Amino acid sequence: MTKGQPTSEPLHKPPTGQLALLPGLAILLVLPLLAGGSDYVLQVFTHALLLATLALAWNILAVSGSISLGHAAFFGVGAYTSGLLSLELGVSSWATIPMAGLSAVAVAVLMWLFCHRLRGAYFALATLAFVEIPRVLTDNWDGLTRGSRGLVGLPGLPGFPLGAHHFDLGASPTGSYYFVLGYGLLLLALVTLIFRSNLGLALQAIREEETAADALGIQVQRYRLLALLLSALFSGITGGCYAHLVRYIEPGMVYGLHFSAIPLIFAICGGRFTIIGPALAALVLYPLDQFLFHPLLPAGHEFLYGVVIILTILFLPSGLWGQLRKGHLVSIKTGSIE
Amino acid sequence: MWTTVLVSGITLGSFYTLVALGFALIFGVTHTFNLAYGELLVLAGYVAYWLWKTYGISLLLTFPAAIIVTLAVCLILQRLFSRLREPMEMNSLVVSFGLAILLQNGMLFFFSGDYRMIRVPLLNQGFRFHGLYLSYGQFTLLALSLLVIALTYLLMRHTYLGKGLRATIQDKESAALAGINVSGMGILAFAIGAVLIGLAGPLFGCIHYLYPTAGLQATLIAITITIFAGVGRIRSLILGGWILGFAESSAVVLLGASWRELMSALMLITLLALRPHGILGREEK
Repeated sequence: MTKGQPTSEPLHKPPTGQLALLPGLAILLVLPLLAGGSDYVLQVFTHALLLATLALAWNILAVSGSISLGHAAFFGVGAYTSGLLSLELGVSSWATIPMAGLSAVAVAVLMWLFCHRLRGAYFALATLAFVEIPRVLTDNWDGLTRGSRGLVGLPGLPGFPLGAHHFDLGASPTGSYYFVLGYGLLLLALVTLIFRSNLGLALQAIREEETAADALGIQVQRYRLLALLLSALFSGITGGCYAHLVRYIEPGMVYGLHFSAIPLIFAICGGRFTIIGPALAALVLYPLDQFLFHPLLPAGHEFLYGVVIILTILFLPSGLWGQLRKGHLVSIKTGSIE
Repeated sequence: MWTTVLVSGITLGSFYTLVALGFALIFGVTHTFNLAYGELLVLAGYVAYWLWKTYGISLLLTFPAAIIVTLAVCLILQRLFSRLREPMEMNSLVVSFGLAILLQNGMLFFFSGDYRMIRVPLLNQGFRFHGLYLSYGQFTLLALSLLVIALTYLLMRHTYLGKGLRATIQDKESAALAGINVSGMGILAFAIGAVLIGLAGPLFGCIHYLYPTAGLQATLIAITITIFAGVGRIRSLILGGWILGFAESSAVVLLGASWRELMSALMLITLLALRPHGILGREEK
């Protein structure tokens, strides 16, 4: 596609084709019945849904053109905030999980101070290095964070009373599953709203041609900051959920390259110019990894993600869902990651 | 105490310069950010460890083997990177991120997640030189690093190939117009980079634990020094390496060993905040 030609269609397009997703949603809704009492299957899909929310959150920033290699910073700080508040102060996880999001926003503000002038590869490199700051701090601040021993015995996901019953969502795999599914659907709805609002249009304009967007009166830096903060907010909330879902966290795990790489891989493979692509990739690739590659290759099964991202960049730069839905979506200026 | 810090800073820093040298050369010539660089270094370290541990081969003889392995991997990488489209910097960043994951998992499979280190007893002994204590390990590290840096400097400054490489770094189009085989220079940069990694990897295994995810630190170090120096400036690379080495040694003495890893990240973020247009220095639109 040549430059200058109006290549972008807004995401306002009618959702034909997306109807194909409805059976998938139906399966997700009744999955605990289909799983036939297998806790393992449910746990894998709970985890896949949680990673899907991380990929959705990552994509809020990516839609503005900034690729982050450091979302583990938000995820890890969120996980630690939620974990420490509930462990040390006994706060209910209904309150600690939103606090996790807010703490991640605070980290994002700090990141913005250093990175706001950076674009493209240099922004990505700065985010990659930035993760080291909360990681090393958490690792060494023994008095506050218990250092490298991590947090053990975290309370589960929150419950809620309904009439005379108390539904303790963290107590059973089914409860946890529906909690994460609920959060996932809520986030998907929010991301859809964001992408279809003026904010989303502005972010896409910034990605496609920042100078032109600026000339049109879009306050580029303000929108880029807003995208970063929203992205961090939900990554932090996801981190908080993770802490209560897995109930054990340690610095090397939550600040590891894994949680920076996973959202990037899912979003780019699924199609980072689409709304739902990142979540779809998570729901396909993570179970594939766990059910097929993990039993075959207990050590090193995650090579799958490396292969998938390389193949996507080489052969399918707009991602799987992006490719399928071509013409209905914002097309890409250069056909490659930028 | 500070002389000790200075000595270990310069020793470490010279080694870091050696680590950064290959990265800077590959980036300068091909404009690819290779995030899998540290993983290649760890791979070379593992090859040396494996030969040394299983067959009892002396450390010096493991260098050629490590070089052969990194050379093979780097030439495959070069093929892969040459297929990427513009913008090179961003695409190579994402692809090499995938490669890093691939290599980490490959090493996890072949060498397991255990922490390993090449321990040569002789290198732990030391000598005094004008009241300054230096272990043989430090001395070897310093001497080998400086030797390889000097050889690279001679290659870049005083040979015809070096001239071609420098021309390609400075301006690709003009170099091509002047009849320089630019894509050939790209292959050559990867090959020289591979040799440098093959030399640095076994040394890395002597001073640092080897484990599959150890590469990220090395990658950050290489990127930090490269961004500090700008490409094609070997003397600035040495200065950057020494500053980082000194910063890390000071952090170890003042704060404790576990704070060392923060230094390269802080230096990189600060450099980027000060020079947002990156290493090439050109104003981007």
